[in-house]
Amino acid sequence: MGFLDALPLTVMDWLRGLLGQGLPAWGVELVVGLIKVVLILVVAILPVIVLTWLERKVLARGQDRFGPNLAGPYGLVVAFADAIKILTKEDIIPQAADRQVFRFAPALVLIPTLLVFTVVPMGRGMIAADLNVGILFAVAIGSLAVIAIIAATWSSGNKYSLLSMFRSVAQLVSYELPMAFSVLTVVLVSGGLSTVRIVEAQVIPFALVMPIAAVTYFLASLAEANRSPFDLLLGESEIVAGHNLEYSGMRFAMFYIGEYAHIFVIGALTTTLFLGGYQGPILPGYMWFLIKTMAVVYVVLWIRCTWPRMRIDQLLDFSWKLLVPLNLANLMLVALVFKLAGTGLLGSLLSLVVNVGLLVAVGTFLVRRARSSTSRRTRALVLGEV
Amino acid sequence: MLGRGMLKGLWVTLQHTISSFTSGPRRFPKRYLDGPVPRPEPSTQGMLTLQYPFEKYEMWPRFRGVLVHLRDPETGQSRCTACMACVRACPHGVLTVTGEGKGRERRAKTYTYELGRCIFCRLCVESCRFDAIEMGQEYEFVSTTQDQTLNLEEMLALGDRSGIKHTGEAWGQVE
Amino acid sequence: MAFISEPRSLDTETVTINLGPHHPSTHGIFRLLATLDGETVVDVQPKMGYLHRGIEKIMEQRTYIQSIPLVDRLDYVCPLTNEHAFCHAVEKLAGLQVPERAEYIRVIMAELTRIMSHMLAVGFLWNELGATFTPMIYAYRQREFIFDIFEMATGARMFTNYMRPGGVAVDLPEGWMDLAVKVTDNLERFFDEFETLTAENEIFLARTIDIGVLPADLAINCSLSGPVLRASGVPYDVRVAEPYSVYDRFQWEVPTRPHGDTYDRYLQYLAEMRQSLSIVRQAMAALPDGPVMDEKARRLRPPKGEAYARIESPKGDLGFFIVSEGGAEPYRCRVRSTAQINLTALRQMVIGHTLQDLVVIFGSLNCTVADIDR
Ligand code: SF4
Ligand code: SF4
Repeated sequence: MGFLDALPLTVMDWLRGLLGQGLPAWGVELVVGLIKVVLILVVAILPVIVLTWLERKVLARGQDRFGPNLAGPYGLVVAFADAIKILTKEDIIPQAADRQVFRFAPALVLIPTLLVFTVVPMGRGMIAADLNVGILFAVAIGSLAVIAIIAATWSSGNKYSLLSMFRSVAQLVSYELPMAFSVLTVVLVSGGLSTVRIVEAQVIPFALVMPIAAVTYFLASLAEANRSPFDLLLGESEIVAGHNLEYSGMRFAMFYIGEYAHIFVIGALTTTLFLGGYQGPILPGYMWFLIKTMAVVYVVLWIRCTWPRMRIDQLLDFSWKLLVPLNLANLMLVALVFKLAGTGLLGSLLSLVVNVGLLVAVGTFLVRRARSSTSRRTRALVLGEV
Repeated sequence: MLGRGMLKGLWVTLQHTISSFTSGPRRFPKRYLDGPVPRPEPSTQGMLTLQYPFEKYEMWPRFRGVLVHLRDPETGQSRCTACMACVRACPHGVLTVTGEGKGRERRAKTYTYELGRCIFCRLCVESCRFDAIEMGQEYEFVSTTQDQTLNLEEMLALGDRSGIKHTGEAWGQVE
Repeated sequence: MAFISEPRSLDTETVTINLGPHHPSTHGIFRLLATLDGETVVDVQPKMGYLHRGIEKIMEQRTYIQSIPLVDRLDYVCPLTNEHAFCHAVEKLAGLQVPERAEYIRVIMAELTRIMSHMLAVGFLWNELGATFTPMIYAYRQREFIFDIFEMATGARMFTNYMRPGGVAVDLPEGWMDLAVKVTDNLERFFDEFETLTAENEIFLARTIDIGVLPADLAINCSLSGPVLRASGVPYDVRVAEPYSVYDRFQWEVPTRPHGDTYDRYLQYLAEMRQSLSIVRQAMAALPDGPVMDEKARRLRPPKGEAYARIESPKGDLGFFIVSEGGAEPYRCRVRSTAQINLTALRQMVIGHTLQDLVVIFGSLNCTVADIDR
């Protein structure tokens, strides 16, 4: 561990020592815990400020536009301009709304996202709580967001929101499963549920060892965060931004922040699980974590810039008929490989081979089935005939 | 075909992202061009956005901007004879003209142009046979009411600023 | 394929929702009353008239020339073809002869307008599919170059007010051809790039193939026209069926597609853009010299009578019916607007599809709401 790498830890230790002179042991822990909470909040909210800017910039650049460039140098403070605008808006509660739930739902949106950050190792030893069931916690908490969405949609008493709720429940439930399977594959190989342990187990990033699981996890978390191409919940061209349709002012801002924080969560968790977390040469761990996370975030935005939205039934088909069986097979094969060949280099290599083989097999199967199919859509999708 | 098309799409947007930084006159880190901006060369990639209040295009000679009066160099007045042809031609009743004098001496006394209602169709100019009016190059005339007007003097001043000598110069109608 | 396979077996109710008058995917003020069963559309009812501007009535008080800026605003996506149709009708009424050069200029302008309109049609279709504006902005970007050459020749980007009964208002300016050649060459590159971006995208294929199928007989019975009709396999094009202007002098073909679903309509737009580009190039190469205006048209007072003339606008068969009492103004003017008639098939096309498809199918019909209501 280099000096830079350990800097945050050194500062923390120094702080502990300082506090220890005047406070009892439990007091020190309390203060340190509070500091961690504040840090987590900062880590969760700061990316929101950056991401509001980044998303617009990435979209704009992909579309030959400048994006925001008048608020501050290169439009960097556009998030603050946004905040001022949103905060000065009138807060409207529709008459048909269930007032209590309507008020409460936006707060609920943010909490699961913030909680996930507690188990993400952001650098060597930089983790708020190294739970021994860390990743289970992340997956479980992450899926709580659906409750907030149900609360928001149901209480706003709007038909568009209602449609949005039907979609979100179906979508979140069905993407929970492939996500869990891909996480399970990782857990199997790393031999523990703790996030730190998973990171430490990645001598070679798991994305190279089991690409199927990595891609599945990425797609499933896109679906969980309602990002394009799975942004059915928002569907602004058909259901006019769905669940947050009736919200305005600060309450809308909560959804907004939740959405952007969630993008960062996708990046952070994908990095932790599949891209080797904070590991990397030369640069300190937290820098590597940040770079990898931002790379994933860029891909999320890039996809939004390019692809159209899927349809709800196709979305479910994609999950249940392709991702779930594929990952189930992958899980078993990878387990078998690592049992036989050990978790060393040989095992990793074999696992990669098995993954590619599985993909080829599925591809061949799909092509063969499509050849005998009469459905024009299937033939176009698989064989490229139109 | 099994995801290939989606990847091709990503490749296109990536190209656009990169070329927005590297190609065209507004390549990174430049944002505003100085001086009047030439029309961009046709291209498929690269920045095109005109950063409007900071940059402005040179208008085409035929651009139909605000209506101006042309000054007769001999008399220093407008050549308008208050013949009312433009008033009749205007589809929106934007123009009101009153004249004074008789026969060849007839001149416009007042000429009112209701800027807020003009649709810049140039039918008035086409109907005028006395070389009196033309559409200038200026377009920054925001009116907050429908009845913001320009009078003869103002329009003559605008005509001086536009540098147009005769009606239809840019339109290939002056021999 | 319905989202809920057997809705009747559950004790469910249908929901009626209002798409519009303010809705992101009804570009303009248009209202669709959709009855949904879950996500499945069981009924739609278009409610028109929110954007009625009374253009036909206003035209009765305008001289023929004064009406041209008005017809520009009928369908603001393709102003020049509207002018073309209107002038065509007036010429028929007044018996004017359009000079050769003016006809060629008209063809060039009309075909560029067609490209422009089709580009936006495809761009907006993608918008409705949920792509975050990217293809639409690429289309807008190219449209800007076409606008450039329009502006150079006519003085305005959109509301060009360029064609006149008996020809075009003025000749093309110097240097116009050079710029136009550059723009058309660039359009070719743009089509290729656009196809790479969109044509093979799997999500796009899955969302559009077999969605909103319009059978040929239904299309004919509903009196549909334009790319929507040709995508259903009917090779009907006014430029061929009832040749006007100088279209018979160019080498080009009428593309059709066999299936009539949304994806075919998309391909149809692409194919027609390429055909139009080829016509533009041929017309630019063969542009003759000469006057651009029939001298008889200076003081326009058509004789008593009536005339109906139609052209192939980007959206289909656009006709003007003009009754003259011999004065400087038409007694009555009636527009056969394409968008309104193309909309009549919407109900049959969307029933049984999901709400998401409804939006896409409506987008693929490429209706401009201003043209529906007039
Ligand atoms: S440009 Fe058109 S609207 Fe404006 S004054 Fe002239 S004729 Fe009237
Ligand atoms: S501007 Fe021309 S048309 Fe109008 S009144 Fe004067 S001379 Fe007549």
